[in-house]
Amino acid sequence: MPVELITGNQAAALAVQRAGVELVAAYPITPQTAIVETLASLHAQGELKGEFVSVESEYAALACCSGAAAAGARVFTATSSHGLAYMHEMIHWCAGARFPIVMAGVNRALGGPWCLDPDQGDSLSQRDTGWLQLYCSSAQEVFDTIIQAYALAEKIMLPCMVIYDGFYISHTYETVDIPDREEVQRFLGPPSFAAQVQPGLPANLHGLSTGETQAKLVRERHRTMKEALAVLKEINARFAAAFNRKYEPVEAYFPGKIKNVVVAAGACADTVRWCLPRLADTGLIRLKALRPFPGEEISLLLEKQKIERIVVVDRNCSTGMGGILAQELKAALYPLNSPPAVYDLILAGGIDFTPQMLQRLLAQREPHRGFAEIWGVDLL
Amino acid sequence: MNGMTEFRLHGRGGQGIVAAAAVFAEAVFREGRYARAFSLFGAERRGAPVTAFIRVSDSPLMPRCRVYRPDYVAVLDVTLGGSAVRSGLKEGGALLINAPDSQNAASLMEELNPDGAIKLYTVNATAIAVKHNLTIGGFPMVNTVIIGALARICGLAGLASIEEAVARRVSSRREDNLKAAAEGFAAVREVSGHER
Repeated sequence: MPVELITGNQAAALAVQRAGVELVAAYPITPQTAIVETLASLHAQGELKGEFVSVESEYAALACCSGAAAAGARVFTATSSHGLAYMHEMIHWCAGARFPIVMAGVNRALGGPWCLDPDQGDSLSQRDTGWLQLYCSSAQEVFDTIIQAYALAEKIMLPCMVIYDGFYISHTYETVDIPDREEVQRFLGPPSFAAQVQPGLPANLHGLSTGETQAKLVRERHRTMKEALAVLKEINARFAAAFNRKYEPVEAYFPGKIKNVVVAAGACADTVRWCLPRLADTGLIRLKALRPFPGEEISLLLEKQKIERIVVVDRNCSTGMGGILAQELKAALYPLNSPPAVYDLILAGGIDFTPQMLQRLLAQREPHRGFAEIWGVDLL
Repeated sequence: MNGMTEFRLHGRGGQGIVAAAAVFAEAVFREGRYARAFSLFGAERRGAPVTAFIRVSDSPLMPRCRVYRPDYVAVLDVTLGGSAVRSGLKEGGALLINAPDSQNAASLMEELNPDGAIKLYTVNATAIAVKHNLTIGGFPMVNTVIIGALARICGLAGLASIEEAVARRVSSRREDNLKAAAEGFAAVREVSGHER
């Protein structure tokens, strides 16, 4: 297994190649572009078997993936920001049709005005569409999660987004242990889910239904998604046995007795992890899975600790409500007898998250009762 | 330094600054350290100012943010000079600039190191690049010269590692780039306030 210095985007493309993906349909957009470039190059060299479809739009990319997934193929697409927004209608459709598509989502702010920085609002605005959402903190995790995502998606027949920050992960050269194709194939195997369409057997799929039929389908999808946490843990254990690396849907780093917990996803969580030995009384909960939301796991982690304050790092903002991870987290705190104060650090616009910013925030001595909203731009 | 060394590179779109950061990180990685390199760019246009960052550590765990307090700053473009490039540079840190040999040392010190708080280095990267025919559309490609010089100053990568990284990562004009990196390594000079 060679260790190479590659970017998060290159790691994504190599994972797709190793996973034996049979169709890639994608449209380039900053900061995702290098994924498409790398896959196109691998395809041109004959190292990416199967189809590479240069589509005219992101909407077409997901439509193309849907058709191939309906025929039982392992497929991939990737996008960011406006591209993801343009896919929105198809994103719902893929989940409803139970296509096990894997998509890399590279976070970038949505306009206007145009902005390239890694606001998470693009992927978070798709969190209610029925896709699994897994957030990555390193290029290695991007590679590993794409492999795991195929195992998960094809097992439970739900599509999965593998999400990471633009630039801070997508464009960062770092060391990645890259298993070869045979090792990945041994772990993953070929796609074995049933094709919904076959040549010579014309079919009309997903026709008009009633609300009651929809209700039953949504309920089934919801229950399947909730059970996905346990499935992901199983896959993770199997992955750890094969590759000696593991990730949990929720990862807790509690160094001794702590009063503060920082909750973060993606690149920001990695920065917090670096800060922990340099901070007193502070731990980290890294959210890898946002859909399904691991609320019970979070409550269990927190009820065992005497936490005074939770700081949520939200590189996003739901206008009129606040940071989205904080909203979700508050639901997980509801079962606690005396929930800690929640400080929501909002980094909307995808602004840089620094150790100094976190130190400045934690130095605010008197924890607010209940909830406080803090804007990262005020701490720069 | 918390066991971590941080670099900031200033250049312009088209100068190969992102590739330079990656080559440097690769060289350091080849010597058994962990390295990360990344860049920030707005619109990816030739000529627009581009900033790249490198972190080197004995541990794979490093913060994922821009470098605000670098130990080393390298400036690829002669026109990006001025005291702004020193922003955040640590006391005792080093500033490497691409400057012609004719540049007056005293005036450079006055402009970039009036307090003597940092070490100032120059390399005539433009002339070395031109000498090795490393130009694209008339623009000298100084990136491999600069990383050769930077490796010499910081001591985190030897010339052999730089050459190996160039050989692995630079696909066009490899031989010329190898010579340019070696010449950058050899030619970099510390500017002292006493020189004239």
